[in-house]
Amino acid sequence: MDEQLLAEAFVEVADTLVDDFDLLEFLHRVTVRCADVLSVSAAGLLLSDQRGALRMIAASSEQTRLLELLEIQTDEGPCPDCFHSGKPVAVPDLSTAGDRWPVFAAQAREIGFASVHAVPMRLRGDVIGALNLFDTRPGNLSPGTLQLGQALAAVATIALMQARAIRHRDTLAEQLQTALNSRIIIEQAKGVIAERRGVDMAASFALLRKNARDHNRRLSDLARAVVEGTEVI
Amino acid sequence: MNEDGVVRIWTEVARESKGESVTLAHVCAAAVTLVGVNGVGVTVRVGSSAWATMHATDETASTLEELQVTVGQGPCVDAFSDGGPVLAADLTAREYQLRWPAFAPGALGAGARAIFAVPLQLGAIRWGAMDLYRSVPGGLDPDRLADALAFAECVNILLLDGAGDSAEPTRQQTDRTAHQAEVHQATGMLVVQLGVSAETAFARLRGYAYAHDRKLGDVARDVVARRLRFDTESPDGGGPP
Repeated sequence: MDEQLLAEAFVEVADTLVDDFDLLEFLHRVTVRCADVLSVSAAGLLLSDQRGALRMIAASSEQTRLLELLEIQTDEGPCPDCFHSGKPVAVPDLSTAGDRWPVFAAQAREIGFASVHAVPMRLRGDVIGALNLFDTRPGNLSPGTLQLGQALAAVATIALMQARAIRHRDTLAEQLQTALNSRIIIEQAKGVIAERRGVDMAASFALLRKNARDHNRRLSDLARAVVEGTEVI
Repeated sequence: MNEDGVVRIWTEVARESKGESVTLAHVCAAAVTLVGVNGVGVTVRVGSSAWATMHATDETASTLEELQVTVGQGPCVDAFSDGGPVLAADLTAREYQLRWPAFAPGALGAGARAIFAVPLQLGAIRWGAMDLYRSVPGGLDPDRLADALAFAECVNILLLDGAGDSAEPTRQQTDRTAHQAEVHQATGMLVVQLGVSAETAFARLRGYAYAHDRKLGDVARDVVARRLRFDTESPDGGGPP
């Protein structure tokens, strides 16, 4: 683990959360930071949709197979278990997880992952989602690394609360639904760009992000404009 | 989503519709019962600035919708523009009096004390919002909010199908692939292939899936993998590409 990277991550958080920030871009960066700082292959964030199901909100890579693996966890996987128990879930060896989560374990191994961890996103007494950490090497994450994972999950939670406060939403439930809908807008925009430019979904997401950054736009605002056809990427 | 929740909601809707094809009125009546509110109203955006109330379960609900359409403010308007639910537990609170100076007093006068609005939307596709009111103050607990959101999804499907006749609604609601990212990506791709709005693109994708007796997510995956195109075949997915 690199302390410099961790310090940078927290400075970025402090910098970003002061203004009317871009929640989806921020959560994407949290997952990228997780993968870097915790030295895992990939990270993903899932949020509760208030109906007992988890939905993917951000991932360190927009590679389709990874997004699918996160989505499977609407039904089964370490994240729902973590979400319902409120406790971290550690699977140091995915080859032993086939009985517990047949679909999830098979797909995770097919992608090349050997171990997976999940830590809860907590807000006071409630669990609102889970942070998923994948690695191509088997083994448990150290207690220190898991603790850092918890800290980064808390950062994502703080971001959601901050977005809620900025937009004057009264409850977290209001903010969660808005964020999940923003994720759908981004998927729709990825489709528009992929078709127009003849690229795959990961490249399409990269184009969307680059455009948002270059023009200082929020990812979800630009994505909506792309879907509605008022802006072309 | 939680399978039991879906079944519970459609059981109540089916009880309301008594075997006839499901309408907005049935869904709203079922929402009154399951969410535990006094009334429900559905208002949609027409064009770029006008609103139209599609249904209201009672006179108060009707007044609340009319008021929002007239003054252009209120929970329904905010839910539509913010893209998230708006939960006002007590309209006498200063916060709501300031937020909706024209709507809040009128709503109280009409007999509403708490009002909850959930957007009717799917990503960038926006239809309008569903309002649920109570004559007594108090918040919406998480389970009831979950129900309200599920009802909003039923309303989306009815609006998508032209408000009235929804074939096999239960099956559409329980298609667990309907929430996959590929469905939304494919919708975006069809926007370009067909040169239509996202709403029309989504309707075409669904139409194809049901016409070919396939899951929405499976058809979407074919579109994303570029195994299936919509701009080279007959409208509404009538035949194979």
